[in-house]
Amino acid sequence: MVRTITGRPGNTNSPAGHHEPPAASLKLRVALFIRRHHLAPYFMLVPSIIAVGIMVVYPAVQILAHSFQNYGLLQVVGRQPITWVGFSNYSLILHDPEFWSSLRISLIFAAVVVPLTLITGTLVGLLLNRLGRKMSAFVSGAAMLAWATPAVTASVIFYWLANPDGGVVDWTLANMPHWLGGGAHWAGYSWTNSTLPAYTLLTVLLIWQSFPFIAVSVLAGLKTVPAELHESARVDGANSWRIFWRITFPLLKPIYLVLLLLSIIWDFGAFTQVYILIGPGNTDEYNLGMYEYQRAFTTPPSFSIASAAAFVLTLVLLIITVGYVRSSVRQGAIK
Amino acid sequence: MGLRKTPAALVAVSAAAALAIAGCSSSSSSPAAASSTAGSSSSAPAQLVVWRLGASVASEVTWMNGIITQFHKDYPQYAKTNVKVVWIPWTDVTSDWTTAEAGGKNAPDITELGNTETPTEAAAGALADITSDVNSWSNKPGLIAGELANDSQNSKYYAVPFFGGVRGIWYRTDQFKAAGISSPPTTWAQLVSDAQALQKKYPGTFGIGAPSNDTDAVASFIWGAGGQIATESGGKWTADLTSAASEAGIKFYVDLYSKYHVSPSKYVGETELGNVGATSGGVNEDFFLGKADMYIDGPWATGNFTGTIADKANLASFPIPGENGGDSAPVFAGGSDLGIWSTTKYPAADWDLIQVMDNPANSTTFASALGFFPPYTAQLSNQSYSTPIMSGFAKAAANTQISPLNAKNWSTADSTDYVIPDLVKALMQGAPFQSTVTKYNTMLTNVLNTGQES
Repeated sequence: MVRTITGRPGNTNSPAGHHEPPAASLKLRVALFIRRHHLAPYFMLVPSIIAVGIMVVYPAVQILAHSFQNYGLLQVVGRQPITWVGFSNYSLILHDPEFWSSLRISLIFAAVVVPLTLITGTLVGLLLNRLGRKMSAFVSGAAMLAWATPAVTASVIFYWLANPDGGVVDWTLANMPHWLGGGAHWAGYSWTNSTLPAYTLLTVLLIWQSFPFIAVSVLAGLKTVPAELHESARVDGANSWRIFWRITFPLLKPIYLVLLLLSIIWDFGAFTQVYILIGPGNTDEYNLGMYEYQRAFTTPPSFSIASAAAFVLTLVLLIITVGYVRSSVRQGAIK
Repeated sequence: MGLRKTPAALVAVSAAAALAIAGCSSSSSSPAAASSTAGSSSSAPAQLVVWRLGASVASEVTWMNGIITQFHKDYPQYAKTNVKVVWIPWTDVTSDWTTAEAGGKNAPDITELGNTETPTEAAAGALADITSDVNSWSNKPGLIAGELANDSQNSKYYAVPFFGGVRGIWYRTDQFKAAGISSPPTTWAQLVSDAQALQKKYPGTFGIGAPSNDTDAVASFIWGAGGQIATESGGKWTADLTSAASEAGIKFYVDLYSKYHVSPSKYVGETELGNVGATSGGVNEDFFLGKADMYIDGPWATGNFTGTIADKANLASFPIPGENGGDSAPVFAGGSDLGIWSTTKYPAADWDLIQVMDNPANSTTFASALGFFPPYTAQLSNQSYSTPIMSGFAKAAANTQISPLNAKNWSTADSTDYVIPDLVKALMQGAPFQSTVTKYNTMLTNVLNTGQES
């Protein structure tokens, strides 16, 4: 690589080196500078740094700045100057009971959905590993369909399924025998007008949408585990439970680490599904995503308060992630 | 927005900005007023853009085309002016206004506004000051005074009333007859007993829909008991939900679901059109399908229903009763206004077109065709609203109120913080009455004064 940059075709007598010829072009000098300071790798990073900078860093910095300003429509239009307001946006949301209720809902929701998704995904992954070729292709194909369904489509489908007017869920429950928990009281039951049923529905929806990714990742991991390990364990008389915890899981730990982190980030920040199933207007059912959206895009838009809430959300995720990664590194799961 | 549920009006504004904008636009519109009748042929615009709210239904388009023809005839100097009508769905209008304000592009010359949005838009500086035009307008004395007052701020006019609309209770005469109800209820006790009778007569239906997110309906029960949502004194708002009368109104509405069981649980958390932001569904759909026996909405409600009406012949209305009879409960005076956008280049031509749209004859034709009320006192009383549907709404229109639904921060209270919808929902879900009302009362005072809940 270095040779192609510095070596000048047709000038083999003076290859790039410590003694540049006096007539060395600018191009050559730059090349030498890069080589001397080992800058080449950094130049190759430039495109992705620019992309990340534009797409992630700049908006993040803007959000941080807005969270300390009074940034609303009048400021966007330029009718009023932007002023710095210190921590008043933060103080506002920290004194808002709606914020605390939505933070609580987000935390509990993630705490329930993440483990359930991982367990379901793992079970399906193990199943896929055991199935024959055709059946495995069929099951993973079906699972991938759920994963490939756009969040909006999936939410609308669930909304219809659980609709009090003619939704198939209520109809089924109403027609089920009493000893199975069915009964007429399910007819016209609204799943979305209070927190517990609404988030039960959302839990099913999010697990349905995200378990295929877990399953396929686990399956990919399982394929790397040498079959002899499982065989010898079986010969030694270990059952499936033991084999999973003693052999499979320890070997797949790095994969689980990533999956767990991704799941926490996805489920903690769930918005699309919540917005479609619950919608605006039921503030007692908001999670943090809804709370932010409602601050930013209704009347009057307060981008500052939403930015402050977004920053708190980021902070919570950072604390979880950093703490988790640190402890994993200490345990040696990541090197 | 006034009439239909939408995500709300636009901007909360500081008085300073409003004054600054008002100052600019008043100076520019004064010469316009002077030239409006004399004719401004020298500056005939090539095109005027009119934003009308709602879907472009045939009857509205026909009416609008008639207006344009008459405009060209009455004002020959604009014979070559193209009037472009843009139909903006109610649910999109606030974001479209925001875009027009923020970007300055694709802005209208004239816009229709829901009457609860006019004060907010005027304060935001989105509307031109048309004080001198209105004051010299020959039709001004005939306008319904309360509606015109809603369009003024600091004794300047920013819009003129275009039509009005009120809510009442929809019912079906055949069902009333079958259930042995001889005349519409005039007290709350009768309303409940009639709802129960209907529900008994028609198993599987609901007596009367009481969705928790229907502030305009809840307001009528608060007012109907003699209470107030909030009162203003010296520029400071005080929420009044904790007065005995207001509490009686709130409690009655909640009890329709909680105690009398004449409204189903699925309406808890819904508007009259279903989920917040939905444009059809909810009790509106159930009523016209024959699954709910009575429900609260305006005469425009059939327009929101997308299916086939179960029984069109027997539809009728009656005003929301007061607590103990006597006058019916005051209803929220909904409606639309016409205003001139602050950035228009042709305020004179704009005003001339508004004069054609909003003269007594044309506004009455429009209102009659669509189930609204004209903005003129004489036309309102001359019209015979004798159809079973309109007679009830016409009675309701005799007793209206708009405050505090036109307060500067009202849209924040109702569409960002959902103060009254949340209160009703919490109570319907069993929250302790007294402490909950007190909590939301404090919240409402805070929002109305500062735009913040706490």
